[in-house]
Amino acid sequence: MLLGEQDQFLSYNGEILVFQLSKPKHAEEADDKTMNLSVRRMVFNRDTKLFVQKSSGAFSVEASHSKIEMLSCSCTTDSRTGIILPCVLMKKKKRNSIKYFLLLLHSSNQFEPSFYFKLDYELKEDIRLFAGPSLLWRHDHKLFYISSNTCVVQSAPVHLSCVVWTGEIVGEGTVVLGIRTACLPETEDPDGFSVSDRAIWGSEFFGYAIQSQKFLSGTCFMPHAYSRVVSSVHVCRSERLRKQLRISLVAITHKNQLVWFQNGAPKGVCDLPYEQPRSVTPALTSSRDLLFAVSFASGNSCAVQRRDSLQVASKWQKVKCVLVDDFIGSGSEQLLLLFKDDSNTDVLSTFKITDLGEVDYASSITYKHDVPAAEGLQENGLLTVRALETRLQAGWTSVRELQQHLALQKRVILESCRALIDLVEERPHILPNSKEEGLVSLWDDEENLPDSLSKETPSASEVPEHFTEELWQRVVGDSLVVGVKLTESFYLSLSDVSLSLVMDQDFSSISPIIKCQSKIIKLNKAFSALAVSPGQIEPPPKKMKLDLHGKNDLRKEFPKRSSRIQLDGARTVAAVTSLSPLLAFHRVCCVVLLHARKQNHQNDDLQHSKKITVLCGKILLSLEDISNGRYSIKMLRDNSYCTGSMEDILAVLAVSVRFSFQIVSCDCTLTPVSSWLLGEMECTPFKECQDNIFCHKAGNVHGTIFNWALNNPFEGVLTIFCRNLTVLFQCLHSLTRVLPPSCSVKLLRSGSKAVLTEQLALALEKEVLTLKNSLFLKETKAGNSLTWGDESGKKNNNAPLASLLDTEEGVQQFRKKLQKEREESVQSMNQTLNGALYQKTALKIAEAQLSSDMIVWRLAKS
Amino acid sequence: MAAAMKRRRGTDPDPDPDPDSDPGPGPGPEPEREPERGCLRAWAAQSRAVVGRWTTARCGGETRRVCRQLRDELLELLRSIRGLPVALPALPLELTVLYNSLLFTVGASDSVIKGEAEGIRQGLLRVLEACGACGQDLGTEELWEKVLQEVTVEELQAPLRRLGALQAAWWLAASQLASVAGLFQLLSTAEDPGRAHCSEGQNKLLSLIKAWRVPPEGASLPLVQSAKDLKEILHTAAAFLQGLQELEAGNFPTALSLLQEAAGGFCSKNILAQIHTCLGCCAQRMGKPQTALQHLKQALQVDFQCLPALSHVAAVYHDLGEIDTGLQALTLLYEALGKSPPPAASSAPHFLMQTELLVHTPVLTSLLRRCHPSEVKYLLAQWCLQDGRVADAVEHYLDFLSLLQEGLQQQVPLDSSSALPRIPEVFLEAASALEQAGRHQDAITVCEEVISRTTDLIPRVLRVEERLEQPESSLPGAELAENLQAEVEVLQKIRFLSLIGRGTQFLEMGRNKEALLDFQHSLQISPGDPAAASYLVQALWELNRKQEAAAQWQKFSQSCPAEDGQQQGQGRPLPLYLVSCQEQAVFPHSETLARSIQDYLRAAAQDTPR
Repeated sequence: MLLGEQDQFLSYNGEILVFQLSKPKHAEEADDKTMNLSVRRMVFNRDTKLFVQKSSGAFSVEASHSKIEMLSCSCTTDSRTGIILPCVLMKKKKRNSIKYFLLLLHSSNQFEPSFYFKLDYELKEDIRLFAGPSLLWRHDHKLFYISSNTCVVQSAPVHLSCVVWTGEIVGEGTVVLGIRTACLPETEDPDGFSVSDRAIWGSEFFGYAIQSQKFLSGTCFMPHAYSRVVSSVHVCRSERLRKQLRISLVAITHKNQLVWFQNGAPKGVCDLPYEQPRSVTPALTSSRDLLFAVSFASGNSCAVQRRDSLQVASKWQKVKCVLVDDFIGSGSEQLLLLFKDDSNTDVLSTFKITDLGEVDYASSITYKHDVPAAEGLQENGLLTVRALETRLQAGWTSVRELQQHLALQKRVILESCRALIDLVEERPHILPNSKEEGLVSLWDDEENLPDSLSKETPSASEVPEHFTEELWQRVVGDSLVVGVKLTESFYLSLSDVSLSLVMDQDFSSISPIIKCQSKIIKLNKAFSALAVSPGQIEPPPKKMKLDLHGKNDLRKEFPKRSSRIQLDGARTVAAVTSLSPLLAFHRVCCVVLLHARKQNHQNDDLQHSKKITVLCGKILLSLEDISNGRYSIKMLRDNSYCTGSMEDILAVLAVSVRFSFQIVSCDCTLTPVSSWLLGEMECTPFKECQDNIFCHKAGNVHGTIFNWALNNPFEGVLTIFCRNLTVLFQCLHSLTRVLPPSCSVKLLRSGSKAVLTEQLALALEKEVLTLKNSLFLKETKAGNSLTWGDESGKKNNNAPLASLLDTEEGVQQFRKKLQKEREESVQSMNQTLNGALYQKTALKIAEAQLSSDMIVWRLAKS
Repeated sequence: MAAAMKRRRGTDPDPDPDPDSDPGPGPGPEPEREPERGCLRAWAAQSRAVVGRWTTARCGGETRRVCRQLRDELLELLRSIRGLPVALPALPLELTVLYNSLLFTVGASDSVIKGEAEGIRQGLLRVLEACGACGQDLGTEELWEKVLQEVTVEELQAPLRRLGALQAAWWLAASQLASVAGLFQLLSTAEDPGRAHCSEGQNKLLSLIKAWRVPPEGASLPLVQSAKDLKEILHTAAAFLQGLQELEAGNFPTALSLLQEAAGGFCSKNILAQIHTCLGCCAQRMGKPQTALQHLKQALQVDFQCLPALSHVAAVYHDLGEIDTGLQALTLLYEALGKSPPPAASSAPHFLMQTELLVHTPVLTSLLRRCHPSEVKYLLAQWCLQDGRVADAVEHYLDFLSLLQEGLQQQVPLDSSSALPRIPEVFLEAASALEQAGRHQDAITVCEEVISRTTDLIPRVLRVEERLEQPESSLPGAELAENLQAEVEVLQKIRFLSLIGRGTQFLEMGRNKEALLDFQHSLQISPGDPAAASYLVQALWELNRKQEAAAQWQKFSQSCPAEDGQQQGQGRPLPLYLVSCQEQAVFPHSETLARSIQDYLRAAAQDTPR
């Protein structure tokens, strides 16, 4: 039997029904009078692996002067019995009137006409058969339906653009899922992501329950956005949970995607391999996998598997139709692919039954076979193995690194032990080859500080004529700042410097002394390091040794910079006091007094320093001046600089709380910090002292001063001078967002570790010297004798000492010297000492020990 | 049966109902009133969740696995978004998801970026589609131009420009610097015309990147890596890349300043060490060894695993004549190479986009070539021998030869950039070292080894002349001829030295005639050679042909000084293994001979006037 284009295939209980419309065979019967609708039931035989005809039936239609067509066929519930039966929709066109009728097929292969109706137009769009049997279609944006119960064409009160699905929804009966132009409520919130899908894409889904004639929300099927693309839907499951409708469905779109939805939300997307998908059918296969068979307008088909994600599992070309049912009787479903075949015209001769698992039957005739299946899955497996391998390797590498590290540590310890033994036994110690000085010089610190040896500290013994350079006052917020700028030479001879303000007028009721807080501030007039130009001169082969004994470096108030610093030694002592109590007097005149301890000579002997109080000058404060803004600070942004007088800067620094943070990054450079300062915080450096930068960012953080000093590309100290803790936290919060994740930020409580370490070294050295010198005390006066032996001063002495230790002969020489000194000290043991001298010595030693203990404590805390 | 089938269909597919998700809104009489869960909001939430997970995960280990997982999730999300018709309100989100997914793709792959970012192209086409334009047939550069010039929608500007930075990264990785510059020009002019102008002397691309104002990051569309980071990385990478290009082109001052700019930028330890190494090499080529040393030192301070820097340090010291330090550096390098395994793939990327992924050029590869231990050993041996540290040289040569015994393929890099000469030459150098150390028997053994191994390779007749006369049309032929010429010179030198050697032996044995013949032959090979000439005079003197001797001596002492200087400069330098032979061939008694001849001449002169 020839297979025509008109033929329809339907799967029904594992059988395939083939409907054919043909002219009767008997030629003697009047031509064009009747047409035969025949059906053949085909069953798959697992032994022969072929479809065989089980039974057949026919129905003749009177067709005089009319054209008969088979429109569609489907399986629907017969409402009289509740049994699902195959039905066929037929069309009979006779001049202008078109008659449609529905035939039910019973198991006895008898056709039963169910109902018929006449229309003056042709059914074309969205024709669906459903329970009843009933029929619905769309015509001119309207939805019409008819059922066998009523046999009357009814219309739904809806204006729609298409129907994507019709079927049963639990509790609702037959529901039509359609798409229409969105009807937007007026109260749309247009901003942000709350804009509704309908507002964006302009169309929406709606559900219409035919029996109850009510509308369902489209969002329990899919987001409205998809109404623009979905062409066909298959609802896999619908259930009610606490009165809520829960629907799982699969949809195919014009954008060639298959989307899986659960409870109205997309749960998986898969790009389809061909254009224009037409229909999708789910199949539950033996491996409990959900499989979607998608057929395309081009005659291609593909199967999409749903495991972890949706994946195209197989694809076929030249497919006439795809049916899903249990064809082999195994209890689960398979796909049946019927291929187009021009050469062989027998029904069901070229087919394939598969569930992409165990089941795979194909007709013996070869056909264009599919493209390899499940490529992606295999690739995944490969990737997993590769990832595991990499992990194993990484683990192995780290174990080896650890082992090497241990070995290295062991070597260092052994080497140190050997050196120690050699030292004790006074044997020369031979360093291992690779560590000799030629290479050691590579690790030297780069810092190239100006030679501080040349800078003689003056030995001023009295208060010089011009010890103060300037006296000034500023108003910052609610505080009054009074500053006294001291010359460096004078400052260096002082310790414990503080200011006090005393009211000049006599107010009997209150104390004339104003409570204030003193701070010592030093600003480096430094310039930011210039980029090294390519034409720079070659550095000399040997570098200068870093001098740790320069007193000036350690007294610095701010972290030092490794770039060239133009030292301006002037210090400012500032007194900060609350302004408002003073303003109560309207006009007030204050005397500024400087208190300090003045040191004799160059030692730190507290016993020999005397307390001094010096009058620095007077300040006049009036409400009028303050109202006029005479003493207020002016920080202006001028191009890329911040202009403000030195006094303004000092005043702001004096009233601010200071916090230093050490920022260490373990794997990337710290350039984000400076770009954060200059960018997000809108900072500009002061023209006067470019180390410090002023924050212009509007808001709470405005006026904060930062100091960012990089020690190397991966470590730096950020000092924040801020008004209060809130500002500090704001800054830190903002900073942590720009810092690389591997960075660590640590609050430095008492100076940086490096500075403290240096201080400790010096303090310990001093302690040793003090101890040693106390042993040499003969008749020499204490205070004068804190020098190494008889030589001129420790500065001149220490530099050669350091260089002595560099070479082996040097060490020997040093050893001899030590020996000599040891003998000397033994000699001096026998001498007597007077009580007062002993007392002084003991005090000095205690002081030295106290100072080093202090530093140790601070170091331990940091 | 039909009922059974119906039930089966009904109980169908969903193996994992999702109890966590919100219950869908139930049917009501007027469903339009219900709050609607829009796609846009769901996508934004998903995108935010992914970024949040990355922010917490990136500080921990296994970042690559997380990265891969999140990439897949974002790609799925992107597929969902692209599955719907393009809509302006959704585009900022779509572009942001695209940006993040591309970054995850980069982070998950851990290899340098290659090829075209197809995702960006698709994104741009979607933008054009939303604006009612199309650009399917445009190249990516033109597409960017069209998009940045024609799309004026305010909401799209920030995400588009961020995407532009990513595009720049892709182009930078492909060394398409002109495209990058063009893109940044567009990005700058689009936001602020006339702002980006380059002042004199500055690098145009770098100032363009610097001038680019990073669009602010909104809280609603978080990014996995900020565009600010990206800008810094691009800046460093562009400076580094251009520095390398200038270095290759020989413009050292420009290269130096570019590399210095790169070193001041945002990068990882690894890259900083590489930049300093390149700076060191650049300074060295500029003839500034001390600067070079400082840069190399910095490279090692930053990352001691940057061993190429150490080998450059050794080379610089060697060039400076500080052989001790150079040798120590080599020893250290040898030890370090023996200990550390080759650097494994970077373990935990905190950043998805990194400078490492953008800069990969042949120059960099050759500058950062990891020395093979055997090469270092050979260099140690060679430098010791050159410096006359014979005992050390012998040790190193023997070490090297034992390395060879272990297997040629594993021990010796066979690529063209290797520092090793041909293996027989290494044997000869070893023999020379042994000989100088007084281990004559060992030297002979080594030489015999060379002979036994190479005899089969030597052709019976070497037709050098014929080959030279062949017409040399192609360049390789000319090169071959040049090489052959050098080889021939070396062979002549060997012949010369052996003739001198044999001659002196004859002279000692008193077979003066044979000695004379050898010296004459050697003078033919190297006319005017002072040693050969002196020996010739000596032989004539011994043969009592005093007049001839005196004449030869006079001739040679007149022409001698000029010849000496000439010989050094030409052709291949004397192979290291011939240096000691050359030294031995020097005529030892030139002063005695000169005196006796002068005496003779004086006597002859006194005779003649009479």
